[in-house]
Amino acid sequence: MLTLFRNLLAPPRDLILIVVAAWLGLSLAETRAARYNVNAEALNNLIFASLLAYILGGRVFYAAEHLSAFTQSLLSLISLNITLFDSWGALVAAVITGLAYAQRKKLSLLSTLDALTLFFAALAVGLGFSHLASGATFGRETSLPWAINLWGAMRHPAQIYEIIASLLTLGLLWFRKANSKPGSDFLLFVALTAASRLIIEAFRGDSTLVFWGLRAAQLAAWIIFAIALFTLELLKPKTTPIIAIEEEIIMPIKTEGKKVKSTTGKPKKKSASTKASKT
Amino acid sequence: MQPIQRRVLYGILLLAGLVWIFLSADKTGASTAGRIPAPQKGFLAPEISLYTPKGEKYILSKLKGKAVLVNLWATWCPPCRAEMPTIEKLYEEYKDKGLVVLGVDTTSQDNPLDIAPFLTQYSITFPILLDEVGSVAQKYDLRSLPSSFFISRDGTINDIVIGGPMSEALLRTRIEEILK
Repeated sequence: MLTLFRNLLAPPRDLILIVVAAWLGLSLAETRAARYNVNAEALNNLIFASLLAYILGGRVFYAAEHLSAFTQSLLSLISLNITLFDSWGALVAAVITGLAYAQRKKLSLLSTLDALTLFFAALAVGLGFSHLASGATFGRETSLPWAINLWGAMRHPAQIYEIIASLLTLGLLWFRKANSKPGSDFLLFVALTAASRLIIEAFRGDSTLVFWGLRAAQLAAWIIFAIALFTLELLKPKTTPIIAIEEEIIMPIKTEGKKVKSTTGKPKKKSASTKASKT
Repeated sequence: MQPIQRRVLYGILLLAGLVWIFLSADKTGASTAGRIPAPQKGFLAPEISLYTPKGEKYILSKLKGKAVLVNLWATWCPPCRAEMPTIEKLYEEYKDKGLVVLGVDTTSQDNPLDIAPFLTQYSITFPILLDEVGSVAQKYDLRSLPSSFFISRDGTINDIVIGGPMSEALLRTRIEEILK
């Protein structure tokens, strides 16, 4: 089954999986856009503009890095070779374009990021399948019963772990109740993705190692995880529970940063004179 | 959940993350330890031991210290034909700097009689090897033609380009990378 999948979608056909995931993600994001008060058409245009900038930016940054190679063959600038591409440069171009578009259309940054979360989550699933097809991000050797034969050894199916983690993240975000705090869905996605990378990286066989054999990706994931949790905490409303003794219910009251004086005893009842003065 | 409980939970999660990072450190110092031969970036390039049409034998492991481009192709494959002149041009330009190009014809799925006219037509000077039984195609997990493997001087695969034709800039950047 796995061999058939890898044969059918071997590189460069594995990119089809990412395109399909992007399309599905876009559809999911559009259906949820209203929840975040974001116009679905504006969101669609933003993703399209960013994807275009990603493709063009990747090639332009790559050409700038290897200027001498391109000056000797200018036509290579429009070559169909997808490997003439700088991923980080592409990401920078996409982010700048997305921000510029959002600012021009007066879209709220945090709400837009929330609306884009399902798109990113679906893309992560597609990326996992693409890695499985290409054999990239392979696992380290193991004798566990679920090991897969890849690159001359029995290995952890790190790509399958990646797919499972991405699907769980997508499912959690899809079934999550609406949250009033803008930015919290996006931050939750970032936290979950960083946490899963932190765990799964340990089973990978292609990690970049830094000092003491520590894996660079795990350190980066831990820092991102910490920042996401810290920012999520900042977004949480500060609440103080007040007990309404007579009605026997607990009512959380938003204090919005103001201190609330503790009240002991029964809540005041409106007197007849007060009622009269109001009427 | 109360804010204090949530903060404690976040703290525990971050601490557990740190412990996990140290527990899962790669003590061997190399994540592809053993340098297993496999057609994947970072692995040792699988062995090639083939003959040219003139009967000269080429063994990949004996080319250590040189940068090697292994290009798997066939005469009937249009992108393979399209990229041959560029490969030849850059081979001429970089061979004195230590570049070796091995053009592996997938003879098991090609017509051997077409090879000689093809080499004459494109004035190919780099060695063309005949993979008559498909052993190299199998070792290199060949799924598309052409497929190019850029092998560093230490014998490890630096990059793989599947499909073609490769543009001049692509070939030049990859060759300069393996010549470092």
